[in-house]
Amino acid sequence: MKKLQILGTGCPKCKKLAENTEAAAKALGIEYELEKVTDINEIMKFGVMMTPALAVDGQIKVVGKVPDAEAIKPMLQ
Amino acid sequence: MVTIALSGRAPAAPSEKNLAQLMENQMSECCGTPKTTSSKSCDCGSEAKKIVLLYACSGGANVGEISDRAARELMFEGKGTMFCLAGLGGDIQGMIQTARDADVNLVIDGCPMDCAKKAFDRHGITNYTQIKVTDLGIEKVKGVRCTAEQVEQVATVAREKLMEQTV
Repeated sequence: MKKLQILGTGCPKCKKLAENTEAAAKALGIEYELEKVTDINEIMKFGVMMTPALAVDGQIKVVGKVPDAEAIKPMLQ
Repeated sequence: MVTIALSGRAPAAPSEKNLAQLMENQMSECCGTPKTTSSKSCDCGSEAKKIVLLYACSGGANVGEISDRAARELMFEGKGTMFCLAGLGGDIQGMIQTARDADVNLVIDGCPMDCAKKAFDRHGITNYTQIKVTDLGIEKVKGVRCTAEQVEQVATVAREKLMEQTV
């Protein structure tokens, strides 16, 4: 089970990143748990000062950008 | 954008609580669903804006102070966001990825030891431009405060570099 975390306060880009990440995970057929981390103190614990960001199993994969689902796929594998 | 008044004295370092508040303010402004009423444009909304990060060696000699102050000047001018070089040196994974994903990383080293540049190289991050203070004819000296003119000299070169990178 992959733990996918979207770091961001809930802005349109954060929502888009969550959508694209879910689309990528579904396309790959992987089991996942998606969590939206909106608390700034929690976001900062990842060393992230810019949103949105994506963490996969605790590892930050992308910061400040919204890649499309195709670009996210390799980050989940 | 958070503006902080500059006086002759450097502003106090923010506490962890203040830093969170600062970041919250920045995010609330850059977010499509702001928590505060702000008409400013947004980093995380629909607008495409280049991510420009500023890193200074911030070393112990005068050239380190110059690098630090020049980077802060640029940040307060809105040219980019200053980030912690120590985060790269300390292998903070989120900070490494932040640098990797930035559109422009401006690295200001004080002297030929290239510590800031090496921090980037060590992580295989290649999307950076370096400025070296000693290359601009400023001598490295320990125990001497830098001057406003020296800071401005470096900031001017940095602005030109950023202009080249962001247009």
